[in-house]
Amino acid sequence: MNILGELALWIALPVAIWGTVLAFVAGARQRGDLQLSAERSIYAVFFLTALASLGIIDSFLNDRFEYLYVASYSNRELQTYYKFAGLWSGQRGSLLFWLLFLMLFSTIAVWSNRRRNREFMPYVVGVLGSIASFFLIVLLFADVNPYERLGFTPANGQGLNPQLQNYWMTIHPPTLYLGFTAFTVPFAFAIAALLSGRLDSRWITLTRRWTLLSWFFLSNGIVFGMRWAYEELGWGGYWFWDPVENASLLPWLSATAFLHSVQIQENRGMLKVWNMSLVILTFLLTIFATFLTRSGLIESVHSFAQELRIAYIFLGFMSAIIAVGVVLVLWRLPRLRSENQIESFFSRESAFLFNNLILLGVLFAVWWGTMLPLLSEGLTGEKITVGPPFFNAVNIPIGLALLALTGIGPVIAWRRASKRNLKKNFTLPVLAGLAAAATLWVAGARHGMALATFAIAAFVMSVIVIEFFKGTRARAHIEQERWPRAFVHLIGRNRRRWGGYIVHAGVVVMFAGFAGEAFKSELRQTLDPGEVATVPSPIGHTYTLTYEGMSTTLAGANPIENVAWQVEALLRVEKEGRPAGTLTTARRALVAQEDVPTTEVDFRSSFLEDLYVILSDVADLRGALANEPEAQTVTFTFLVNPLVGWIWYGGMIVALGGLIAMWPGAPAGRARVPEPAALPARAPATAVTAS
Amino acid sequence: MTLIIGAVLLVTAVVVYLVQPMASGLYASLSREEDEPTELESRRRVALLALRDVEYDRATGKLGQEDYRTLRRELAAEALDALAAAEAETSLGADASPVEREIARLRSGLESGSTCGACGSANEATSRFCAYCGSPLGTAVRSGASPDGSGGDRAARPEPA
Repeated sequence: MNILGELALWIALPVAIWGTVLAFVAGARQRGDLQLSAERSIYAVFFLTALASLGIIDSFLNDRFEYLYVASYSNRELQTYYKFAGLWSGQRGSLLFWLLFLMLFSTIAVWSNRRRNREFMPYVVGVLGSIASFFLIVLLFADVNPYERLGFTPANGQGLNPQLQNYWMTIHPPTLYLGFTAFTVPFAFAIAALLSGRLDSRWITLTRRWTLLSWFFLSNGIVFGMRWAYEELGWGGYWFWDPVENASLLPWLSATAFLHSVQIQENRGMLKVWNMSLVILTFLLTIFATFLTRSGLIESVHSFAQELRIAYIFLGFMSAIIAVGVVLVLWRLPRLRSENQIESFFSRESAFLFNNLILLGVLFAVWWGTMLPLLSEGLTGEKITVGPPFFNAVNIPIGLALLALTGIGPVIAWRRASKRNLKKNFTLPVLAGLAAAATLWVAGARHGMALATFAIAAFVMSVIVIEFFKGTRARAHIEQERWPRAFVHLIGRNRRRWGGYIVHAGVVVMFAGFAGEAFKSELRQTLDPGEVATVPSPIGHTYTLTYEGMSTTLAGANPIENVAWQVEALLRVEKEGRPAGTLTTARRALVAQEDVPTTEVDFRSSFLEDLYVILSDVADLRGALANEPEAQTVTFTFLVNPLVGWIWYGGMIVALGGLIAMWPGAPAGRARVPEPAALPARAPATAVTAS
Repeated sequence: MTLIIGAVLLVTAVVVYLVQPMASGLYASLSREEDEPTELESRRRVALLALRDVEYDRATGKLGQEDYRTLRRELAAEALDALAAAEAETSLGADASPVEREIARLRSGLESGSTCGACGSANEATSRFCAYCGSPLGTAVRSGASPDGSGGDRAARPEPA
């Protein structure tokens, strides 16, 4: 299996190049037979990449430590599902994994368009093929072949970083990679539209759907990553502006910008060059994210690679994408002219434009902060790093402006909005926002930014609720339907609009969750068994935690989790004097990885806050492991994180809205052109033919 | 040995799969399929969707009456334009020159009474005066007697979202 997999990788490269060349020739010469062969080469590369991936998984499952990659990221003790996840544990495997998903989406794109959009397909296949070829070249020639042999077989591997041994490891990276790779398809269609000169509305429709899919996976992947950090990394936070977190945020920001500005193009025929540039930029950023993660250029908790050769190859590829994009857009500039102009400052178009400017502003700030260490070191020799304070200082105000726009945009009409209507539509939401801020002020909250966030969140939420209410009422009235039925039909008839509003609602809930952090309380305390810590919650009540004692586990006692040693402290929790369960937090090390102990945190979630406990220090670890009675002193960090749960609820709402927005309707064939109920009928054209 | 046989089989299978289209004359289509919407149909579709939004915006009080009327008139004309052009394309064939299509479009509009005889703009079938120049419309047949019986002045029905 593994040898077949290695072979498959080598066969895949010529097949991908073959497909690329044939597709472009087929497009230029209009040769259907060459095109069919090119499309088959996409399927073939997918099959071969799947074989290669299976080979790697098989090598992990069978402990084939003769492969450098397996030896570096696995050991005999590793649990089976982490061995399965070995495919994306390190740089080499994850590049193959990237290619696998790329080919999966390429195959879906080619197969689903085998009878549609045929004029685009030669170029689409050509672009997909060239990207596949690039990744194959990287895999085979940039010292990152996952099948590279050591020349000897070590008795055991080095094992997987214990912090990665968390169930999110099997969920978060694949989701993020699905998001990155799915965006290749919109990019391919955009380039195909530029090359074929068919810049009408069709490529936009195709691109929009795929962008939504990619955006859906990216959003989920980012939230999953936050949850993972919260559960595993043990500092009580969920976002650290780590370069790799930033890298996943960048394409999300530009894809979000595109999803908004594309609506201006669809409705008003404007911003064509801008949209084209956003598609190219987003694809570039997915490659950039892969490059950042997998080249080791910037230090990050995620990066494990140190080779520079691959960095230069990636830089070359990204330069090529920019060059091709710029040349093609300039070439087609005359056909990308705007059909309309913005008529009024108070219009949905200008709200969308602001939204785009803000998103790109955030994008630039995040990119700058991420790249600064590298750029400063390259230019001045001195490495300047900026941490979370920089990102927060820049992005929180911008983020709030963006949040406010999600409330303003939907209420403003296309083209022009009258002041009277604005007043009518905004009075209630603005009052709701002010009321929210006032209530919190009275309750004792004094954090300016957080108050602003809650006010804006209440404003946007009431705009959305009113929108749903008015829409349902209008539909119930016009169609003579009952309200629940009207509500369902309302969403079903325009899933993009209402799915989008649901996404906005989720974002609002998430922002409220972020703002909750401003009120978090932290307490660090050293306790002996039987001693009590009193942790005040910012909401007003108090937690009493009693340190009940410590239990130890030594190697062999828990063979499933391969624990070498573990000390686990038990805390009994009382909330306002009433029992509220127990929490356990531990320090432990895994077999064969005794030198990298990890902290296992625990938390108790409620709707309004999380009580989060960290075992910060064990004074006498050796004594504790030997169960000595006087060695049970432990230092805990207790955190109360208000509203942190809202981030996860918000993430779920965003996912739901995304699903609704991208749920496929009937295919947009001729039969689907909507019945022009709202259009006055006209005499049929038969008269023309007759005359 | 098994390995070599496996490798040879894999390579052969891939090569046969890729070369077969050229060898046996199989091919993939490179042009628009019959059941796909044309550019003009998509344009009409976009105008209709925008019209739907305008209706919704009015129903929910985001658009004033006057703006609503202006927008609706413009969008309806856009949709009609695209429809007429699409019909002209169908009747004349896709190869017809733009001038021929424009003539067919104008003629069809004049016959139905929706195209202004003075300035040539497309209007709603129900309009009595041109939205662009104000000239009276409908000197031609405006009874709306269409063969399918759909009638010339079907009431516009708002369709929220």
